[in-house]
Amino acid sequence: MFSMNLKYFMTRIFAAVLLFRVLLFPAFLSAQQPNDAIYMDKNAICIVAAYGHNSWDTYWENTLKRQNLNIGTNTTQSFALMAAAGITDKLNLLVGLPYVSTRNSAGNLLGQKGLQDFSAALKYKLFNNEGLSLHGTLGGSIPVSNYVPDFLPMSIGLHSATASARLVFNYLHKSGIYFTAHGAYTARSNVRTDRDSYQANDKIYNSDELAIPNATDGGINIGYLKNSLQATLFLERFDCVGGDHIRRNDAPYPTNDMEATNIGAYVKFQPGHFGVNARYAYTTSGRNVGQTTSLMAGILYQFSIKKSSN
Amino acid sequence: MKMKLFPVIALVGAFIVACDKDIQNPLLEPYAVSSLDENAGQWKPYILSSVSDIVVPEPKPVTDPAYLKELDSLKNYIAPRVTPENRAAVEHWGAGAVYRWNEIARELSARYNLPPASNAEGKYPVPDAANPLKDPKFPFANPPYAARALAYLSVAQFDALVTAWNYKYKFNRKAPYKIDSGIKPLLPASDLPSYPSEAAVVAAASYTVLIAMFPGEVPYLDGKLAENKNAMIWAAMSTPSDITAGDALGKAVAARVMAKAKTDGMSAANNQSRTPAMIETAKSIGIIEPWKSQESPLRPTMLPTYGEVATWNFSKETMIAMRPPKPWIVGTPEFEKDLKELQGIQKNQTREQARIANFWADGAGSYTPPAHWHRIGAEAGKDAKYSEVRMARTLALLGTAEMDAGIACWDAKHYYFTPRPQQFGVKTSVGLPNFPSYTSGHSTFSSAGATVLSYIFPERKNEFEAMALEASNSRIYGLIHYRVDCEMGVAHGKTIGGYAVQRGQTDGSGL
Repeated sequence: MFSMNLKYFMTRIFAAVLLFRVLLFPAFLSAQQPNDAIYMDKNAICIVAAYGHNSWDTYWENTLKRQNLNIGTNTTQSFALMAAAGITDKLNLLVGLPYVSTRNSAGNLLGQKGLQDFSAALKYKLFNNEGLSLHGTLGGSIPVSNYVPDFLPMSIGLHSATASARLVFNYLHKSGIYFTAHGAYTARSNVRTDRDSYQANDKIYNSDELAIPNATDGGINIGYLKNSLQATLFLERFDCVGGDHIRRNDAPYPTNDMEATNIGAYVKFQPGHFGVNARYAYTTSGRNVGQTTSLMAGILYQFSIKKSSN
Repeated sequence: MKMKLFPVIALVGAFIVACDKDIQNPLLEPYAVSSLDENAGQWKPYILSSVSDIVVPEPKPVTDPAYLKELDSLKNYIAPRVTPENRAAVEHWGAGAVYRWNEIARELSARYNLPPASNAEGKYPVPDAANPLKDPKFPFANPPYAARALAYLSVAQFDALVTAWNYKYKFNRKAPYKIDSGIKPLLPASDLPSYPSEAAVVAAASYTVLIAMFPGEVPYLDGKLAENKNAMIWAAMSTPSDITAGDALGKAVAARVMAKAKTDGMSAANNQSRTPAMIETAKSIGIIEPWKSQESPLRPTMLPTYGEVATWNFSKETMIAMRPPKPWIVGTPEFEKDLKELQGIQKNQTREQARIANFWADGAGSYTPPAHWHRIGAEAGKDAKYSEVRMARTLALLGTAEMDAGIACWDAKHYYFTPRPQQFGVKTSVGLPNFPSYTSGHSTFSSAGATVLSYIFPERKNEFEAMALEASNSRIYGLIHYRVDCEMGVAHGKTIGGYAVQRGQTDGSGL
């Protein structure tokens, strides 16, 4: 019954992976994501085109919450194409690629733009009984353009390749009310900069290699999922594993220990092949990140490449 | 279910284990020097009137029981107790004391290279040397500050080492392992006389300069001083009496050098009350639309009277005489051409232009452009296997040229007081320095540095000049300088570096 419903539900892709890649200007997301319990049926494909708009005018310089008249409001816009495909009813492939651009409303830092990172994930239903289910996701991402990683907060990403593993626990009541809890560990590769020395951890490194801290994230969702409607409230937490802190009046740096707690809501309506979705998130607390308001809206199109066998 | 979960858990574990992300600074192989520079005791010091200004007491003869006891201790007490940590310290300091203390100064410059934040009243508090760790930390190690700190550091090292070389060959006490073949040095053996210890001389001189330049770092520098001196004992390169004599000499010379530093005009280099008159002067010679801070709240220009600080290798009259000519005036076709070039790059900056701009940016949090050239000079000296004294000469010639470049460039900047491209709507991909545009500091520092290094390492002239040109262009690619700022800065820097070269040619080294 669960999977019957899912057939009609477009889903979100990659919120966690992409959201925190560019944490000072948290990104966008869309349909199915690695941290939910939603699957495409075998041979079903859903394509999503989404627009994201994230902005902040307040940020945490280490623990100091401040504004910066030489930044004003930092805005990240993204346009992403994503897809979710049912390899089997229990195994889905998710892919996505965003084009990102950044700008400030004040000061004189040059906005950056370009194709960011290609992401892919496999989600597998490990266990499912009486509405209780457990899922595992393995994913990764890789930069697809040679963008500058350390011109924060203008860089479009950190240029780190990532690999993540996630477990998702879900309970769906037959009323349509559901609860999800998820957690993940993301390994992030070191990156190369254009410089041959830099300062981090209060030290000079005579190297062009930056250590990007690994990261954990987790969250809970409470929502409603029935027929063509999905509506969810969520709480998410992201933490780097190590890293240094933005120094007093310094710029953020990719080596920073970025931390954030976000709350938000997500809705999706897909009565047929076409659907729409929208997401809102807000950073309630953080460290070395912007207090971001994140908005996303997408158009979904779902189809099947073969006649369903049943 | 357990079976299915296992791969997931295994993968997570693999991620955690596989990722050793630590960035290690490259290990440097200690080297045997290419020349002992035996006659360096006759080289001309900068601040001392002669190499006999400071008296180093005659050491005890090598047959003296007290000295023999030192040798015995090195061989039978210290050597068997050297730990792996001690060995790592020996390896580290084996790269050279001048090399390592220059690196320390660059690191401190980077750590202190942050402009103060504005306060609630919209003002920028001035760092207070008496409260160096209070926000804003003292110093703000901007390029002029770092250029000066490194110049005095290098000069103190040089004056202390030429004095040390004088006494080394006067007393001619051999290294411990030359006297007792049972003593095995952990660093390359050398015929250089070991009294006073050159490493201790450098460590003490450097320490004395750096605690004055970075007064919040005394505990950190205490640790470095002790480690450098101890490493030479662990390595059996010196006896404690070599170290003690070197320490005293280094501190005495550096005290003379810092006495000069205190009267060079730096304490008056941030005289903001002079800027209205500077703007009037600029207007009177035809500058329209003088420079305005592009920061909010408006930040006062960086060290407007740094141009009045004492120069090393030429007089103030010479400095004024060689000040670059008036730049293009806003609104002229030449100015419009330069501005258009920047607007074109802004629209279509290539990745290679961004790379060059980033590589040479040396902005906040970096060790600054003059220190970047110190790094290039120190690496060149290491590659050429220079002795401590010749490394110090290299960095003193370079360091004084860099400080002179800073002073003469700041003089030009605040004489002409010209606007940055950002006053005409141009953005930047590297961050905008808060002082007038003409001439480009990067261009001046880099060209002066390349000129000095090309004299010292003539076989690498093309390489250094190409680096300087790239550093200069980087400011166009980063969109914060007009071409005229850069081209005139390069020409100016070459002249400035030439005065340091003249000094080098007449310092008695014959090099």
